[in-house]
Amino acid sequence: MIQNYLILSVILFSLGILGVISRRNVFTVFMSIELMLNAANLSFIAFSRLHESMDGQVLALLVMAVAAAEAALALAVVILLHKHKGKLDTNVFSLLKG
Amino acid sequence: MFEYALSVMIFLPILAGLAMLLFPISRGASRIAGMIVSLVVLLMGIELFLGFSGTGGMQYLENRPWIESLGIRYGLGVDGISLLVLMTSAVLFPMVFSIFTTRKKGYYANLLIAQGSMIGAICATDLVLFYIFWEIMLLPIFFMIGIYGGPKRLPATLKITIYTIAGSLLMLAALVYVGVSYHNQFGAWTFDIVQLGALNLGGGFAVLAFFMFMAAFAIKIPLFPFHTWLPDAYTEAPTATTFVLSAIMAKIGVYGVIRFVVPVFEIEFARFAILFSLAGVVGMMYCGLAAIAQKDMKRMLAFSSASHMGIIAVGVFCMNVQALTGSLFQIAAHATSTGVLFLFVGLMEERMGSRDIGDLGGIAYRAPIFATFFAIAMLASVGLPGTSGFIGEFLIILGAVKFNGFIGFLAGTSLIIGVCYMLWMFQRVFFEKTNERTLQFADLKVSEVLTFLPVIVLIMAMGIFPQAFITKIEPAAQLQVAQIFPTTQSDVAETTVLTPGHTNTKN
Amino acid sequence: MEHTATYLGLIPLFPLIGALVIGLLHMLTCRKNPLSEMLYGALACIGPVLSFFLALVVFYHLKGLPADERMLTHNAYIWFAVGDLHVNMGFLADPLSSLMLLFVTFIGSLIHIYSIGYMAKDKNFGKFFAYMNLFLGSMLILVLGGGPVVMFVGWEGVGLCSYLLISYYSEDTDNVLAGNKAFIVNRIGDLGFVLGMSVLFWAIGAGGFDYLSLKANAHSLTPAIGVAVCLLLFVGACGKSAQIPLYVWLPDAMAGPTPVSALIHAATMVTAGVYMVARFSFIYAHFPSAGMVVAWVGILTALLAAIFGMFQKDIKKILAYSTVSQLGYMFAAVGVTAYSAGIFHVFTHAFFKALLFLGAGSVIYALHHQQDIWKMGGLKDKMPRTYWTMLIGALALSGVPPFSGFFSKDEILFSALANGHTGIWFIGVLVAGMTAYYTFRMIFLVFHGKPRDQQAFDHAHEPPAVMTIPLVILAVGAAFAGVLNLPAIFGGSLNVSHWLAPSVVEHHPHVSVWLELLAMLASIGVVAVGIYIAFKKFAEGAEEPVFTGFAKVGYNKFYVDEIYNALFVQTYKGFGSVISRFLEPNVTDSHVRFTSWLYQKAGNAFKALQVGYVRIYAIYMVIGLSLMSLFLSQSIN
Repeated sequence: MIQNYLILSVILFSLGILGVISRRNVFTVFMSIELMLNAANLSFIAFSRLHESMDGQVLALLVMAVAAAEAALALAVVILLHKHKGKLDTNVFSLLKG
Repeated sequence: MFEYALSVMIFLPILAGLAMLLFPISRGASRIAGMIVSLVVLLMGIELFLGFSGTGGMQYLENRPWIESLGIRYGLGVDGISLLVLMTSAVLFPMVFSIFTTRKKGYYANLLIAQGSMIGAICATDLVLFYIFWEIMLLPIFFMIGIYGGPKRLPATLKITIYTIAGSLLMLAALVYVGVSYHNQFGAWTFDIVQLGALNLGGGFAVLAFFMFMAAFAIKIPLFPFHTWLPDAYTEAPTATTFVLSAIMAKIGVYGVIRFVVPVFEIEFARFAILFSLAGVVGMMYCGLAAIAQKDMKRMLAFSSASHMGIIAVGVFCMNVQALTGSLFQIAAHATSTGVLFLFVGLMEERMGSRDIGDLGGIAYRAPIFATFFAIAMLASVGLPGTSGFIGEFLIILGAVKFNGFIGFLAGTSLIIGVCYMLWMFQRVFFEKTNERTLQFADLKVSEVLTFLPVIVLIMAMGIFPQAFITKIEPAAQLQVAQIFPTTQSDVAETTVLTPGHTNTKN
Repeated sequence: MEHTATYLGLIPLFPLIGALVIGLLHMLTCRKNPLSEMLYGALACIGPVLSFFLALVVFYHLKGLPADERMLTHNAYIWFAVGDLHVNMGFLADPLSSLMLLFVTFIGSLIHIYSIGYMAKDKNFGKFFAYMNLFLGSMLILVLGGGPVVMFVGWEGVGLCSYLLISYYSEDTDNVLAGNKAFIVNRIGDLGFVLGMSVLFWAIGAGGFDYLSLKANAHSLTPAIGVAVCLLLFVGACGKSAQIPLYVWLPDAMAGPTPVSALIHAATMVTAGVYMVARFSFIYAHFPSAGMVVAWVGILTALLAAIFGMFQKDIKKILAYSTVSQLGYMFAAVGVTAYSAGIFHVFTHAFFKALLFLGAGSVIYALHHQQDIWKMGGLKDKMPRTYWTMLIGALALSGVPPFSGFFSKDEILFSALANGHTGIWFIGVLVAGMTAYYTFRMIFLVFHGKPRDQQAFDHAHEPPAVMTIPLVILAVGAAFAGVLNLPAIFGGSLNVSHWLAPSVVEHHPHVSVWLELLAMLASIGVVAVGIYIAFKKFAEGAEEPVFTGFAKVGYNKFYVDEIYNALFVQTYKGFGSVISRFLEPNVTDSHVRFTSWLYQKAGNAFKALQVGYVRIYAIYMVIGLSLMSLFLSQSIN
């Protein structure tokens, strides 16, 4: 029943993308990214089970570790951003505008 | 013992330059180190020149496989065509280290890298190896203008870099075409220039590739109308860089045409020679006329340099021994005379804070030695007999008359055009009355006299005893011309020997 | 049949070494402690005098040989050899060049000695003599050169020295401009010379590019190429010898010190063109049509310069135009293939014109650099030696028998008549009268009448012996040099012509003695009329006239300088300005500008995509990834 897992994973991933694209609050964007990561984790584990190999679970654990480290960094960045502009609206940060 | 001479002359300066950048040494130490390296290269160059036998073939060959799957080899060698170009890049560098004593470490390091890569481009006998050195050559130039240049250096740097890279990329594409064509015809990969000579190209693609090659060289020479990067780059570059650009880099453009374009694209070369010689002549006149309207001495010399390069290019496209030898000789002659003139202007700028012709005057009374040296270099640049400039110019005009009477006449006008702006500048800067600025001008110090004297003597010696140089380059020029006209030239030679009385019918 | 003489190379070498030594000494010492003038003077005279003695050796060496073997050559080394082109650093002394050698070194030495007096107390004394020696060395290379290219070395060398010496007083802009003008105009001529040499080489130069080989091969020149070579070389001669249309530099060249005018711009350098045509007589003689161009340009220059000379007030300008005019005579002579007559006039002219210039120099020296003849007068008694020597010079220039100028000029006019060129003869006679007029106008205004500037007059005095002795020696030459080529009609045997015969290709037509006498009387009569008019008008206290009408136009030299300036100089500068102000920034660079413009526009177009919001970039990513996935899935299926 791998399809069910994959469908759930796709739904979660799409929700994550939708969040990144549509929300302006930095925290929400961040949480959406986490959602996408976990969607990927879900499919890793599902495939791991399917192929009866531990590789997928190892990768999932690695992703979690990276996500934790990333969360630490990201929160620090968010705090700096807040200090810098006083807001957490992504529209404020548009230095790359051509 | 002299087996690896060329490799040493290439990589000693490059490695020394890189080492200089890596290790924290003082300005003075880096200058001394640069001086020593350039003197070693100079001595090796002289040794090489004296040992060169002038048979027309390649000497001091080094040839080992490099990228074997594509037949690319690390091939080096010197023949009569590259000899004088090589000598100029070996001989002139120590002067720069001797005169400009207060520059930054990176400046000296870049100079060394420039020297090594230029010698590499001159000695390479493999098209790919040449291309690599050709591109490396631009890097130190880019840094030197961009970091140490004048107030408007950034646009100038961008212009020269993008302009020349655009040309180089066209050449790269054409180079691939040549290699592939060779593979298609002979079933093996090679980029060795001697073997590529066997190629039989034809059709529209060959013409296209020829023009792509020519674009790269025309930009570097620079040939009218691709000279527009030159005035800005020459003016904004620090003096030593201008010197390197005008004395050596421009010459490598001419050299590239003779070395790499002629053997591969004989037919296209002969077909479009008239077009390019016309471009050379027009450029000579155009830049010569522009020179008279300049207020900045350096800019004036930049146009003058472009004007002379035009006439040298004419010699290459005239396709006879006299003109080609003249061009090869003039490469060295022009490098010494105009190069020294640029250095002199640099000195004046350093001592008086201005190189504006209107600000100066009466320097001849304050600095007789400087004025005499300047005058000799200037007279060589206008081609006065007894100086190096005459021999080359005369041979080129002589050859151009044979090639095409009209081109010959136009080439001859360089006798007049050159003298107009040079005398006008000399009058305003060295004659007339001194002012507060020039009153302070001190004559050359003993060390400076010793630096310039060898080159000044060389300028005179090349005019009085040119045969010592010509015997080494003429056989190669003969071969080169014979390559373009494999049959006709030998026929002409025979009839000339047998019946001297009837040669006039050729005209 | 030629002989080798290794000492030929030494003749130009002596003055060149002198130039080097003096130049170095001056360059190294002039700023701090200048060396004494005596030292420089002595050093400067060594070279020319030694060369003069060697010239005598050459002369006697040649004289000892049979007439058809009078050729000394010396090939010092191979100068350059490329393909068929072989150029030796070779020297050739034959009767023609030995005659030139003799008077160049002789007059050169005298003028060096004179200059020691004239240039005294000049702060660049050493520099002056370095240039003078350099000039003499170059002139000797020009004369002795064994082939056209070696001759060209001297040809350009004298041009350079001429430039340096004209702009000698270089603090004054006008002088430097005059120098520039001389150099540039000469260069226009040199263009002709170089092109002429090139064409000549490709036609007959393969067998050796020196005079002897060229002479041997000259018969194979086709008419078209032969005439082209002659005319191109003549352009060179026009530049160097100040003929129409390139004569304009010579009057301005008077900005240099007077000894320079005497040596370079009267006696030696300016006659190089005539010498060159005589050198190439083996070509010119075959192509009479080219010779006619030479002759007519020459005689018209003579006429034009004589007209200008009649109205000038600067003593040196008068002499300058007279030089141009006399050079015109010489070209008329070589144009009608009377080479020996032309060269003989070069020879006598060197004496009397150098004499006149040095005399004028004495006057200028005595009057503290006053050159306006309308501010002089009555100097006869104050400066007797200068007066008498200059009078001899003036008589010789006017062509009064038995002074030297009479014989040489008459030989030219007679040759023109004998060869059937009546027009040239007629203009020549007319010019002879005008010459007599302006020469004596100058003599009368300067030395006769009453002083017009009393203060200057009071301070005037005869210059020192070092200046007057050369005057006297030259005066002797000017008076008696004509005897050397006495025509048969006076019991002579045209010695110079016979001497030159092996060098030049010419034919002496036989004409009746009566015609010769008649021609001679005509020119003497015209000269007498010229002197008489001058005497009437100027001998007794004439005042400076206000020129109107033709005289005004003549005084302003037909406005040729102004026309040239507008036509060439301003056009040239205009081109320069247009190129550097308009073409260079706006037009020539347009292909580069277009490329960069294209990039800029494209960049602007793509800039719209770069909105700056992270979310939008995320959308781009999603779209991109989706397309990639789609493509992948498509290609797998």
